[in-house]
Amino acid sequence: MKILIVEDDHEIAALLAEGIIARGHEAHLADNGRQGLLKATGETRYDVVVVDRLLPELDGLSVVKAIRAAGVSTPALFLTNLSGIDDRVEGLEAGADDYLVKPFAFPELMARLTALARRPVLGAEPTLLSVLDLEMDLIRRTVKRSGRTIDLQPREFQLLEFLVRSEGRVLTRRMLLEKVWGFHFDTRTNIVETHMSRLRAKVDRGHSTSLIQTLRGAGYALRAPN
Amino acid sequence: MPRTSLFRTSSFRLAALYLALFTISVLVLGAVVYLVVWREIVGDIDEDVKAETSVLAREYAAHGVDSLKAMIEARSQSVNSFAYGLQDAEGHRLTGVLFPSPAQPGWTWVSGPPEDSGVAETARSLVTRLEGGAVLVVGVDWRNEQSVTHAIFLAFVWALAGMLALGTIGGLFLGSQVLKRIEAMNNAARAIVAGDWRRRIPETGANDELAELARTFNRTFDRIQSLLAANRHVGDNIAHDLRRPLGRAVHRLEAARGDGSTQQDAETAIDVAIADIRGVLETFSAILRIGQIEAGARRAAFKSVDLASIAREVVEAFLPSADEEDKVLVVDLECALPLSGDHELLTQMIANLVDNGMRHTPRGARITVASERAAGAGRLKVADDGPGAPPGELSRIFERFYRLDAARATPGDGLGLSLVAAIAELHGLECIARDNRPGLSIVLSLPAQGVSG
Repeated sequence: MKILIVEDDHEIAALLAEGIIARGHEAHLADNGRQGLLKATGETRYDVVVVDRLLPELDGLSVVKAIRAAGVSTPALFLTNLSGIDDRVEGLEAGADDYLVKPFAFPELMARLTALARRPVLGAEPTLLSVLDLEMDLIRRTVKRSGRTIDLQPREFQLLEFLVRSEGRVLTRRMLLEKVWGFHFDTRTNIVETHMSRLRAKVDRGHSTSLIQTLRGAGYALRAPN
Repeated sequence: MPRTSLFRTSSFRLAALYLALFTISVLVLGAVVYLVVWREIVGDIDEDVKAETSVLAREYAAHGVDSLKAMIEARSQSVNSFAYGLQDAEGHRLTGVLFPSPAQPGWTWVSGPPEDSGVAETARSLVTRLEGGAVLVVGVDWRNEQSVTHAIFLAFVWALAGMLALGTIGGLFLGSQVLKRIEAMNNAARAIVAGDWRRRIPETGANDELAELARTFNRTFDRIQSLLAANRHVGDNIAHDLRRPLGRAVHRLEAARGDGSTQQDAETAIDVAIADIRGVLETFSAILRIGQIEAGARRAAFKSVDLASIAREVVEAFLPSADEEDKVLVVDLECALPLSGDHELLTQMIANLVDNGMRHTPRGARITVASERAAGAGRLKVADDGPGAPPGELSRIFERFYRLDAARATPGDGLGLSLVAAIAELHGLECIARDNRPGLSIVLSLPAQGVSG
């Protein structure tokens, strides 16, 4: 991935770049809004842009708005510092695709960037999804593994659909809470864990290969073991 | 600070303004009365003088100047208020005392008494030129009438003087009374500014607007004082809550750096330290979030939502966890609870309530989430049958950093229910904790219908 980071805090920018490079991606930096806008709309095509909310010269909201106004559809992730409730809405309205409240764990950022970069191009969405011997029919709301029907609760179906659509990518607890439950906050009760263990029991039990994987300290992923 | 001068008080100024207006109106009234009375008197006199003149003129027309002279002399002797003057065409005075000069026909004032006899100092006189050139003057003693108008004038002057004196004294008195009470308020406020937070404005038994103002100010001071105390309390608690994990993290990291710790020890220490510090950051985020909600900025984005259906969605998310912990989540949300609000915040409010119930109950507990409508007002109840809170502590559980055990041994940041209270307040929901006998019951009451906007 080629990632542009628009962040005025040099220390944080350097740490992010280091982490991104260590994972085999390319990191480009801009330390003010104007420069960020120039780079994002310049010749280099980025896979994803990370924009801080508060920036010198041109604030993050204006940067994202200007990028979109220039007709560039590179996915953008908004970083907010204010644990803001309104910031997220404002950022998404400006044209950002996701947001993250600082301070965040690096794996959380990477998971979200990966999800954004591979965001499917808008168009006809497939109604039949499959991974190995797992098949999902989104219209008839049915799931089969090795041809055998699996009974899922509506929320479990939603959870599995999100996992299958993000096949191979890490989904963090917070991403799941946001996308599946619409909870933009964390709970002390282990909602995600219990749902996931039920889903896993229904999908993987009795099969030699486990599709749903738990990645300690990072999140979950659905992928075929290689 | 300079003491306010009595003459500069607003009540004295108001009284002075009122007095000035009143004075002007009295002056106008006096002038009108004076003019009306004067014209009435002059009109009466003029009628009398005209009648007398016509009697004399007829005598002259009938019998000539000598007869007129005799008649005038006869009438002068009798007691009447008229004075006369008669002169021939050449200007020789024939009889009488009134001789205006020049002797133009018409009304005139003849002043300066001739040396003799009770004629007025000023006489209202009618000069008539008779046929043949003789001039007849008939006048009336003006003294009585003049004294009447004079008396009226004097009365007004005295009344005005009295009014001005009373008004000034009254204004000063009112000013000083009000000033005294304002001074008292001022003194109290200054004392508070200087740091004496217990000082209050002395409240008199009076029930006027100044007393009301004093009461309002005192209530304001009470609120500020309690907020300050709460702030101090929160500040102390933040320090207490954050020092512990930060201190732990430092110890762990120091130990990991020390000799004799293996690579694995170090990694474990770093992981635990990260978790500790992350917890501290989350506490900060929670405090900021509560602050933002309390600032009320979100109200603009309110939509009409159903609290009961939000509760249903939230509870559904908790069901597997409840199963796992052998707890029963009882849902009774048939009754819809429509209100205007923020879906995301209300979701978090209910999630925090259920979360709270899950965390503070033992295995096998029952947590009920129910909606009901009583006396026109809807209510959402989240209740458990766990250990609950002592009755005396029930109202305090919504305070920031409040925890039942003073030692803060149980996990939790003590902010979950504060967030509930802040979101409830933003939505105009009344949030009350009750003893569920056993357990804790938290009731959120919607404003009665028709009252809410």
